[in-house]
Amino acid sequence: MKTKSKVLIGLGAYLAIAIALLLIFGNDGKNEHFKPQNEFKLPAWIHLKVGPIDLSINRAVLYLFIASVLTIVTMTYIAKRMAQKPNRVQTGVELSYELVKNNILGDNLPKDTAKRWFPFIATLFFFIWFSNMIGFIPLPTNSEETFNVFGLEIPSFAIYAATANISIPIVLTLVVWVSYHVEGVRAKGFLPYLKSWLPPGLENMSPIGRAAIFVIEVISHFVRLISLSVRLFANILAGHLLLLFMGGGLAVLLGIAALGAVTFPLAFVFFIFEVGLVATLQAFIFSTLSAIYIGGATSASH
Amino acid sequence: MDLAPVIAATEAITGEDVKGAGKAIALGVGAGLGSIGAGIGVGFIFGKEIESVARQPEMKSELESIRWLGFALTEAVAFYTFIFGLIAFFLS
Repeated sequence: MKTKSKVLIGLGAYLAIAIALLLIFGNDGKNEHFKPQNEFKLPAWIHLKVGPIDLSINRAVLYLFIASVLTIVTMTYIAKRMAQKPNRVQTGVELSYELVKNNILGDNLPKDTAKRWFPFIATLFFFIWFSNMIGFIPLPTNSEETFNVFGLEIPSFAIYAATANISIPIVLTLVVWVSYHVEGVRAKGFLPYLKSWLPPGLENMSPIGRAAIFVIEVISHFVRLISLSVRLFANILAGHLLLLFMGGGLAVLLGIAALGAVTFPLAFVFFIFEVGLVATLQAFIFSTLSAIYIGGATSASH
Repeated sequence: MDLAPVIAATEAITGEDVKGAGKAIALGVGAGLGSIGAGIGVGFIFGKEIESVARQPEMKSELESIRWLGFALTEAVAFYTFIFGLIAFFLS
């Protein structure tokens, strides 16, 4: 049998399954009970309040904690037992170390600044990477919905990432934002640093025009706060939403079982896309842009 | 512009949830149109990258990191519109 006819038969069988599901289960109508936004709700597990500040332990805090612990433990453990003949894990870590050193910092920063900022940028990269990766492992953390195992109420399995919550990317962004301004002021002094925001080639312009351009530059620096944090947050959130809807959420929401047969293979495809590309790419982008910002603040003219 | 009287009048005539429909349109049109722009942009980046590698194959490794940087920066535009659509849908 030719490959083409095999593929056609496979597709036909697959469509037949979907149609059979449609005929057997039909359309149950819209499901009002299932609320997809509840997957991202953060019910407080341990209530903690310091004055007006809410410090309750919830799902995001757990993921943040796991990601930090994993980052610290794996990196220090591998650094402590470096072998002459590296095993596979050590090779992987060495490769990612090289990536941070050469691709993220080496191209964007002068050598002495790169040496000073390497620990910071590398920590950012590994923390975001671990946080994104844990986000795609189902963990029993959804305490809104529980299931019963031998009388034990276990929260249902769900995927969630610390970076799918806007507060964690925005804090990382604020740290980067403040530190690149501090580095710029340290490298040039306060007023020369502000002057260096103006693009070169404006020496003959009238002061009013230069002031207008300066205002635009100030706005662009503040927009970096939004763009850097929302890029990471929205990518991870959209990935999780996509997996949620493709992996059955859409079928449950609309009450059409046949839709699940169509969307479920897509969920696998998107899962591979998210784990293989997006999780690493977003960590790479976040740290690269941080390096570019620090490089732009310290270099003589940008 | 205050749309409350218009909404009330339309709801009285049609008997449907006009505000909810507006929110759904905001999410759909906002995220959909944003994806068009980002899709064109991503296609442009990969197309140009293929073109440059075809012209100068020895630059392939250097272009690789720039390609991913450009891809992620462009792709993020789609997600900005998506997030603003979600804000319009859930928070307004």
